[in-house]
Amino acid sequence: MVVDGHIPEGRLCRSRTDADVGETLAGVLDRGLTGYVVFEPQGSILRGGDERAVLTFEEGVPVLAYHAPTDAGGTDALGALSGGLFHAESYELPADALADAHRVDAFEIPPTAPADRLADDDTLVKRTREAAPDDRVDDGADAGAVAEFLSDPDRIEAIRQEARAEAEERAAEWGLTDQLDDG
Amino acid sequence: MVEAFAVASGKGGTGKTTSTLALGMALADEYDVTVIDADTGMANLLFHAGLDDADVTLHDLLVESSGVDVDEAVYDRFGMSVVPCGTSLDGFAAADPGRLRDVVADLAADTDVLLLDSPAALGSKSAVLPVVLADRIVVVLQPTVPSLSDGLKVQEYARSYGTSTAGVLFNRVRPDEDVDAVADRAARYFGGTTLGSVPESDAVRAARRAGEPLLAHAPEDPAADAFHEAAATLDVRSGDAAGVADRFRSAVVPDRP
Repeated sequence: MVVDGHIPEGRLCRSRTDADVGETLAGVLDRGLTGYVVFEPQGSILRGGDERAVLTFEEGVPVLAYHAPTDAGGTDALGALSGGLFHAESYELPADALADAHRVDAFEIPPTAPADRLADDDTLVKRTREAAPDDRVDDGADAGAVAEFLSDPDRIEAIRQEARAEAEERAAEWGLTDQLDDG
Repeated sequence: MVEAFAVASGKGGTGKTTSTLALGMALADEYDVTVIDADTGMANLLFHAGLDDADVTLHDLLVESSGVDVDEAVYDRFGMSVVPCGTSLDGFAAADPGRLRDVVADLAADTDVLLLDSPAALGSKSAVLPVVLADRIVVVLQPTVPSLSDGLKVQEYARSYGTSTAGVLFNRVRPDEDVDAVADRAARYFGGTTLGSVPESDAVRAARRAGEPLLAHAPEDPAADAFHEAAATLDVRSGDAAGVADRFRSAVVPDRP
């Protein structure tokens, strides 16, 4: 049970103790896995900690990322999977069992982000992009969308205000309030 | 004379580490440059700089009891001083992010330009510290809505801490993207100057695989030219090294009364 309990326990279909993230992603893509993979850094179990990170997949294409120890979701969670080998367990689930979790936009990642950032593998990036549904590979590079975005001062002001409020709130959390600029 | 820049993007995949090293190498023609991998949770600068087997890294400097001298984590590479960060989660777990200010203060004393390769995230203290500590940020963007949106967000975080924007650099620009039009519009919302537009290039990945910065691996590549132009456009301000060092030392954790 992971990601706020939205993902039911799947059927364990593969388990490796010395898994490379890139090879795991390639294998998941080849098998067209729908389900999730739990990555745990080697030694984590011995240390008694819960250092698990989870990626979910639809037909082999990454959808969500979540890192339990930091409660980070989305691309923020991918940092936990950088470098090193992992104990990786792949679980299968019917697509409808993932539907609730896949509505959590904050945890969603671009389909090619794991291959690009964690595996640095051109071929895997290309294969993942080709396998991803069209509505998930729109990376916003559309010139019309960019022009529209930059012509909407209200939308940009909203992003700024939200970021400013978030920065101030988190500064308090991290003990950085005194570093905030009064101006 | 010193100015510290955080090279930031807010979003992964924009080529921030490539940009940091490229700007560093280009600036090293004129300045004494130190590059620090401040992305302590997802370090990768070491792979770009041929330092995969570095014995001592920033992680060691961020552990109070390690007894490691700052100089031990500084490597002379490609005309720059490079401080890589380790990739182990154990190292990350043991590191105290607050100590980054001391490390930066020490390094600031002996260099002209400090470049902090910053995390592509804002979700933790260690991720946000580079933009808190820097004098100004360089925002690396792609001409896409998610990248511009995340760039605005990291700029706003930086401004909250009094860190202004030195400029924006458009990177990984594809031939079909009209970046000039985007840059003109974006300039209304981003501070500083538009430093340039770097084309997407296969040479970047080849350089990464070779463990060399782009400017060393493919100095004639159009992307390398664009980074040179961007570095020339960046106005490095003179600062008082001692003053900067003091500021870093007093930052983040105020002295007890």
